[in-house]
Amino acid sequence: MSAAGMRCPACGSTNIVDDDLYSQAQLVCVDCGSVVSEGVLANDPVGGSDVSFSRTTAVAKRPCANLIKGQQRVKAICRILMVNREIEDLSHTYYKMAYEHKAFLKVSLQKKDILTGCCVLVSCRQLNWPITVGTISCLLDADSMVVGAIYQEMVKNLSIEAPIINVTDVIGAHCHEYKISSLDVPEELAENSRELTKRAVALVELAADSWIVTGRKPIPIMMAATYLAWQSLKPNKHRLKFSLDKFCQVAKVKKLKSAMTRVAEIKEVLCKLGKEIPWVRETVTPDNVIQLVECILQNRYALLRRAMRTHEDALLEESQASCAEAPPESSSQISECADQTPITSFVKQNGSNSDGKEKPGDVDYNPRVLPEHSGTQESQNPPQNWGKRVLFAPPCVIHAKKRRAEQPEHTDVTGDEEISDSEIDSYIRTPQEARDFALMQQMLSLSDSAKS
Amino acid sequence: MDSSNDEALDIIITNVVATFRTRCHLNLRTIALEGTNVIYKPEVGKVLMKLRKPMITASIWSSGKIICTGATSEDEAKLGARRLARCLQKLGFKVRFSAFKVVNVLAVCSMPFAVHLIDFTKNNRPIASYEPELHPAATYRIKNLKATIQVFSTGSLTVTGPNVQNVATAVEQVYPLLFECQKPLCK
Repeated sequence: MSAAGMRCPACGSTNIVDDDLYSQAQLVCVDCGSVVSEGVLANDPVGGSDVSFSRTTAVAKRPCANLIKGQQRVKAICRILMVNREIEDLSHTYYKMAYEHKAFLKVSLQKKDILTGCCVLVSCRQLNWPITVGTISCLLDADSMVVGAIYQEMVKNLSIEAPIINVTDVIGAHCHEYKISSLDVPEELAENSRELTKRAVALVELAADSWIVTGRKPIPIMMAATYLAWQSLKPNKHRLKFSLDKFCQVAKVKKLKSAMTRVAEIKEVLCKLGKEIPWVRETVTPDNVIQLVECILQNRYALLRRAMRTHEDALLEESQASCAEAPPESSSQISECADQTPITSFVKQNGSNSDGKEKPGDVDYNPRVLPEHSGTQESQNPPQNWGKRVLFAPPCVIHAKKRRAEQPEHTDVTGDEEISDSEIDSYIRTPQEARDFALMQQMLSLSDSAKS
Repeated sequence: MDSSNDEALDIIITNVVATFRTRCHLNLRTIALEGTNVIYKPEVGKVLMKLRKPMITASIWSSGKIICTGATSEDEAKLGARRLARCLQKLGFKVRFSAFKVVNVLAVCSMPFAVHLIDFTKNNRPIASYEPELHPAATYRIKNLKATIQVFSTGSLTVTGPNVQNVATAVEQVYPLLFECQKPLCK
């Protein structure tokens, strides 16, 4: 407010001057000396400046340094995996989205690092470029469980859907890693990568059909399939003598422990099928089955059907022979159900029974489930022990864990029974016992401190 | 449920977790001294007490909060909890059994058919998720029941939920979805 054009409220004169008192602006009337108006002590507005501190000190906004580093890491991973341009762009987009998502805003740098790998993984899956979580965790040098957890969190938060990879898709890339071409190893051990992949894929498909793949980690299976494929492509004595260890050393690949068990399981399946080949005279053992692998794989569906049929016939004979035996065991089924309390719920079985799905000679298991109290030869719970009746079954079913014996008193418990004193007393030490215990503890602690 | 083609599906409860409060402070040293079947963990600040008759393990904190695990039914959990409270009463604490609540129920169930997990996950995204490299089972979470079902390709299920009724309902809900994706037990 300027001094001009104002009137002093006390005397009415227009002679008003700016007379600042220290740092307080004041307008004072010259004639009567009254203060017409005064400003605040300082020129700053009350309650702080209108402009915030961060704005006054702000520089031009730059993208976060960690975001840039992360994007470079994404690029590096994409280049190492040699993916195409589309996948790389998609990974960059996902990484930016994830980085700025509130769930990942305040996480540790390590997690953000793993996030880079997860973005690449998701983009590869969506655009049909199969890589495994194992590959990514190798590249990131992180535990695959941690990578998996962050991957699932990211997929949930960003609401993206990624198809699940099949083992058969990944095996091509896996076989490529094996340095077994003629450039790397002597001629007698070398193998064309394409042939190797084809044979390995066939072996993996066979394994998938016979319950070896389900529920297992994919990489040991692929390793086992590659090893057996390599052996069977030229099954001479030299190659057959090569153990899995040596093969991995030659191919410069790190051996996995469980691959050995997978090799044994696949060989077992091959033996079961090898037995069905009509022109093979000698008994098929895991040692001599490798020579027959080519033949088995070419005719595997026919051999599978034959094996199923033979097995069915054998079972039929068995059941007919033992039909005349002991009367059916009835309620032993309940006793099999351990010391846990079963609640039985009746569930409607929709539509027609699996009769429609049954292929001739294929399905061994009879889907007409036996009611609880029926007497049959298999007194154990049918679904749990179908492993014993079927030719191919996962090992967890064949070697089912034995359940503990049932304790019948538990079936009639209500929560509000009487609790007798004597029961409770069994849980409390008598005063003498308590004193002894305290004494013993003292002695123990003394001897401990004496020793140390 | 309706009749026709019915088959009994056994849902076996393997674990029930329940909590309750004693409404009084508990001296863990006394319990460790005068109780049998007791393990004192001073570094965590709790006492583990195991009962024999319902096979139950209880974690007892000095604030009076107790967690019971290992029961095989809700009633058994309640009985075990009351027995425990009675035991503490006898040890000399002014225990009042209150706020008993079953917190978690774990059950297993077996389908009479095998399940093709990849199809099952494809049909039920995003409620179902399956990462074969991380865990061999597909996970199916039912939000309104707060139940989680893990489906294995052999047809076995593991169900966890806040109470037995929810667990049963969850199995009934998931059964038709599994039935569509069944696979013949061998090819």
